[in-house]
Amino acid sequence: MRTSLFITCYNDTLFPETGRAVVRLLDRLGVEITFNPEQTCCGQMHANTGFRAEAFSQAKRFVRMYKDAESVLIPSSSCVAMIRDQYPGLFAELGSPTLRDEFEALLPRVYELSEFLIDKLGVQDVGAYFPHRVTYHASCHGLRSLQVDDKPMRLLQNVRGLQLAPIENLDRCCGFGGTFSIKNAEVSSAMLAGKVHDVLSTRAEFCAALDNSCLMHIGGSLHRQYTGVRTIHLAQILASTENDPAEVLA
Amino acid sequence: MSHAVLDPRVAPEFPKAALPVLRDTQLRKNVAHATDVIQAKRAKLVAEKKDWQELRTAAAAIRDNVLGNLGDYLEQFEERCTAAGGQVHWASDAAEARRIILDILREEQAREVIKIKTMTSAEIDLNPALKSAGVHAIETDLAELILQLGKEEPSHIVVPALHVNRSQVREIFSKSMHLEGLSDEPQALTAAARSYLRNKFLTIPTAISGANYLVAETGSVVIVESEGNGRMCLTLPRTLITLAGIEKIIPRFEDLEVMLQILARSATGERMNPYNSLWTGVTEGDGPQRFHVVLLDNGRSEILARKTERQTLRCIRCGACQNTCPVYRQTGGHAYGSVYGGPIGAILTPQLMHMEHAQSLPYASSLCGACYEVCPVKINIPEVLIELRAQVVDQDRHKTSRLFDPMYMGMRMANSVFASAGRFRAAQRLGRTALKPFTGKDGWIRSLPGLGAKWTITRDLRGLPEQSFREWWEKQGRKMP
Amino acid sequence: MTVATSSRQSILDRIRKATAAGGGTGDDELQRGYIRKGSLNEDERIALMTERLREYDAEVVESGVADLPATIAAELFAGGKKVLAAPQGLPAQWLAQGVNWRIDGNLDYAELDGVEGVVTAASAGIAESGTIVLHHGPQEGRRVLSLLPDWHLCILRASQIVQTLPEYFALYPHPPALATMLSGPSATADIEMTRIKGVHGPRFLHVVIVRDAAQTRTGATSSAGAGQAG
Repeated sequence: MRTSLFITCYNDTLFPETGRAVVRLLDRLGVEITFNPEQTCCGQMHANTGFRAEAFSQAKRFVRMYKDAESVLIPSSSCVAMIRDQYPGLFAELGSPTLRDEFEALLPRVYELSEFLIDKLGVQDVGAYFPHRVTYHASCHGLRSLQVDDKPMRLLQNVRGLQLAPIENLDRCCGFGGTFSIKNAEVSSAMLAGKVHDVLSTRAEFCAALDNSCLMHIGGSLHRQYTGVRTIHLAQILASTENDPAEVLA
Repeated sequence: MSHAVLDPRVAPEFPKAALPVLRDTQLRKNVAHATDVIQAKRAKLVAEKKDWQELRTAAAAIRDNVLGNLGDYLEQFEERCTAAGGQVHWASDAAEARRIILDILREEQAREVIKIKTMTSAEIDLNPALKSAGVHAIETDLAELILQLGKEEPSHIVVPALHVNRSQVREIFSKSMHLEGLSDEPQALTAAARSYLRNKFLTIPTAISGANYLVAETGSVVIVESEGNGRMCLTLPRTLITLAGIEKIIPRFEDLEVMLQILARSATGERMNPYNSLWTGVTEGDGPQRFHVVLLDNGRSEILARKTERQTLRCIRCGACQNTCPVYRQTGGHAYGSVYGGPIGAILTPQLMHMEHAQSLPYASSLCGACYEVCPVKINIPEVLIELRAQVVDQDRHKTSRLFDPMYMGMRMANSVFASAGRFRAAQRLGRTALKPFTGKDGWIRSLPGLGAKWTITRDLRGLPEQSFREWWEKQGRKMP
Repeated sequence: MTVATSSRQSILDRIRKATAAGGGTGDDELQRGYIRKGSLNEDERIALMTERLREYDAEVVESGVADLPATIAAELFAGGKKVLAAPQGLPAQWLAQGVNWRIDGNLDYAELDGVEGVVTAASAGIAESGTIVLHHGPQEGRRVLSLLPDWHLCILRASQIVQTLPEYFALYPHPPALATMLSGPSATADIEMTRIKGVHGPRFLHVVIVRDAAQTRTGATSSAGAGQAG
């Protein structure tokens, strides 16, 4: 089986360890992985901020780049949500019939990581080992748009040594919201305070999620407050084994 | 208590209006408590309803059917209501609605009117207009009475006084009702309101109401409520004026079997509101013998014309989106600078203002989607928010002032960067160099200048790693397609 | 009023222009996939109605048809009610002896406000939500009659009780001009979300459910007639 990794712009720049973990994990599972160096961004930031024309040009770029891919794997639920929820509207308004056809053919082959593992590969136990207490943060896009449901939990439950600590208010947003965290920095911070409280109440060592965007937000506060609790992308936990433990930056 | 400005034309922008609220301990506690209570009740009753999703689907379809054929339904309603003895008026905007109502009141020689809670009357600024015309308006909903006597502004669609606590209510009531030694027990406060209003109900011959539904098939009007103040206003006076947005139509009496089931569960977490009242024009020997309906457009027909935004008009004002919204949970309603707060307010207010005011509201959301999930008529609020954001961006694109807007320029620049992998790589390298002076020895950034300072007010940021993912991939000599 | 006429036209014009492109769901496309018919038998229906009414703090008693006047009288005496209002069409045998009855013809508000309670019939009961529906016919009286008195005794026949809200609407292909749905006594949660019973409407709701079994059996499938009040 082959898949094309769309790493996403912010993982590429800020969280390369997540990408490396995806590669390690898929190598282990025997999936051939390719990386198109022309890739940049799915357009989510522009779309969500109201820059529709800009979002469209990135969306078009994405479709052109992956139209022949066997499948596209994206370790970010919000970028997958962008493609599923917003591309259709953008293409209906600004796209050509050819582009719309290419997109429709591509869409069913686009996967978020937990979807790829469970729905496409049919594995729930990826043979990982991560001897830590972990709480799972459900990012809003994974929860409501992708409706990944308990897929990430099922993957985590099969990680040996991992102690899963349930969090209160699982379905409540951490307050990131992309440019929301800048435009409405104070309200966003108030939301974050509640989320951090819930994370700390679990007494977990790590807070894991499908999206490094939420984790950058939650982790930013955990670090600011010297809590000692760290954030980690699901891919890094799943890539981790006894001999090759997770790559976790400071 | 805060002194909120709920006029979108002059209210401060959302981020600014939110600041005092975030520091208001009392308000934060009250809002969190109220929304928790209603949410828990709602969740329980929705869970017991096995056909909840089917009801939502039907409700959305009924509302879409109304909106797609609104002209016909309004004419049908007018015809049936008129045939039943009601008088139907049409108001293009707020000013015209106020004028129509004041004309009726003049004809009735009304000095006082009793009112049932209506958001629409707040939307058209009716009370100040009544005051200028020398008509004393008496709010009869308990929460509205608290707000009116305490000179407060509503902060929630369904429980407008949720930001006022019992001791504040006690203070307001004992002062304005001249009740020494009134206790702060909700029971006692409620009893005080009952006796304060009872005589007014019995003697004031004119009432003003809103409407939950206008039934096209029969010309009937429906109001749901809990306290009985609505029933008093609807049945005791000689004259009743109902102010309703043109979108409040439902096609048939039978459609209430859907709308009533979803409304109470979504709004207050009840299987049914304690009282639902339906009346049709004028009934001899029962209730007001003069009945006026004022149909208000006030921007609604423009919303109707827009493809994505039309769904806004499905709204039945249940407030479920407010109760679930994590932003509203922090700020309550006042920060929205309008009588319509929360997610629905964030999309409705700018549209009612023809996108000239309240432009910060479409951005007052993290787009988490909780509102869409609970909406009983399936309004995709995030989708509309994004549409409105696009309008805000596009209407200003030609302005030179945008060249000095760091967010705008940043987004334009990012677009050019994302258009080419080469530029993207260069930008990654540039970013690494630019952030280095701000990055501590531990690899973390504690403080940033400019827009970045908005991030670092409460969060650290991990500095950019030495190697991007793509650089690592290439070093590995891994496969490129 | 020429101004009003022109606004009417301009609003309708704007609406028609906005909707000309279509996009609305057709009337016949409406999906009504929700539950319309209930599944409970009569005993279960009555039990559910009773349970729901009691959740709302209403008092509920059951009665047979024959002993209904005695049941009503017992309720009134237990409540110590001496001065009561009643609608004109209330059956004479329901008017218990020893009560000062004020039959509503044109009682003024002060008089109605002064009585100790009111007795009425009802048009329907909806078990799932514990709702009593009044259509304000001769046995139910005009709307203020069941509003101003603080105590309301409502006589509901078992054959009038449906399980679901859609079943109530199915009973009335010809909609009533007036309807009041009562789901418990008036209440508010406006002060700190504390539920307080009794704001402006009657604070005490008593319901007598009359087991009119003979009618129920024939009315179980086509209960349109049985549902009509007065």
